[in-house]
Amino acid sequence: MKKLITLSIILLAVLAGAYYLSSYLAPRAELNALGEFYLRNSYFGEHSAGSPEVVTAILWDYRGLDTYFETAVLFMAIISAVSIFRNIPSVSFHPRGFTNITKTGVKIVGLITFVAAATTAFHGHITPGGGFQGGSMLAVVPLLVIVGFSKKALEKAGLNKERALVIRTIGLLTIALAAFYPLLAGGRFMQNLSIYPKELYGMLVSGSLSLFNMAEFLAVGAGFTIIFLLLSNPEGGSEA
Amino acid sequence: MRFLPVTLLAFILYIIITGSATPYDIITGAITAVVAGLLFGRYLVKNPQKALNPARWVAMVAYFIKYITVIELKAHLDVIKRIISGETNPGIIKVPITVKDEYAKFLVANSITNTPGTVTVYMDDEYAYVNWIDVKTRDPDEARREILEEFEKHAKRIFEG
Repeated sequence: MKKLITLSIILLAVLAGAYYLSSYLAPRAELNALGEFYLRNSYFGEHSAGSPEVVTAILWDYRGLDTYFETAVLFMAIISAVSIFRNIPSVSFHPRGFTNITKTGVKIVGLITFVAAATTAFHGHITPGGGFQGGSMLAVVPLLVIVGFSKKALEKAGLNKERALVIRTIGLLTIALAAFYPLLAGGRFMQNLSIYPKELYGMLVSGSLSLFNMAEFLAVGAGFTIIFLLLSNPEGGSEA
Repeated sequence: MRFLPVTLLAFILYIIITGSATPYDIITGAITAVVAGLLFGRYLVKNPQKALNPARWVAMVAYFIKYITVIELKAHLDVIKRIISGETNPGIIKVPITVKDEYAKFLVANSITNTPGTVTVYMDDEYAYVNWIDVKTRDPDEARREILEEFEKHAKRIFEG
């Protein structure tokens, strides 16, 4: 009975809180005026963020929530890694590793994760998501292989630290080139539209945004893969 | 050839996850699908003819529909009854498994686990070890009839032969 009362109080509080908050969560209709607002206000305006750097102002003040959740994605990925690896000593002492149920599951879930990661990165300029989020999801595939099979299985399949490093470097180089190219074309550093086309053969690519997303996808996915490979190295470190 | 079934599956998955099919989705989906096929094909598919057989896919969809409606409903009702009445007799039993194919075994093991009242704890080449909410029998063959005979029948139709 006592439990039931506590439970109903919690339920009522949650419902009341949700009702109260819902009026503040309505989608804004004047979204297009927002860009102008940022440019006018970030340093001089009435609602100054105290920063002449508009991007930083948006990132950590006006749209701090976005950055917050991007940090949360990274945090979540690392937490997931920690929780997956929590039983690793007992696993490595098991003579036969995981059962075939786990191994077959890893293969199927790996394929689905790969496809979901790709669509998250490719649509970063249209829907929520982007290169970083997609890359984090991509890195889950090698992580699953390391835990379900072994580090050696991943390396035998052709994905070792050196190759991951090459993929990561290609991603980072693409980002650097895409950022510097507008300077050569007579624009500003990291300038987007009018240097890069908004549409390509009628498909919306949002200038350099989709290019940045794809490059970031490779860089983050391969970067995390390196970390996972390093962390799972049983021979690493000294005897002491 | 082994990458073809995986490529097709990846493309269909991509379009479903994306939820739209504009030219941009189709081009990026095709790129993703080809890469996925090349990366995963040799691990996921041993026999491309078998994987591309539409009759097997139809059998899988039919089994899925039957599983989430009839089989799940029966098991849920049984467990709901046990939750209310508290009549449980749990235990882990050894059940022989007759399917040989990797995916058939995977399907049987996951069908057992997804059904309320039974969980596959461990599985080797010949036996599945199942945690059962109400151990009606300790005889392996009888337990097999009770727990996984129906799953195996469908798994054989989809993945074996």
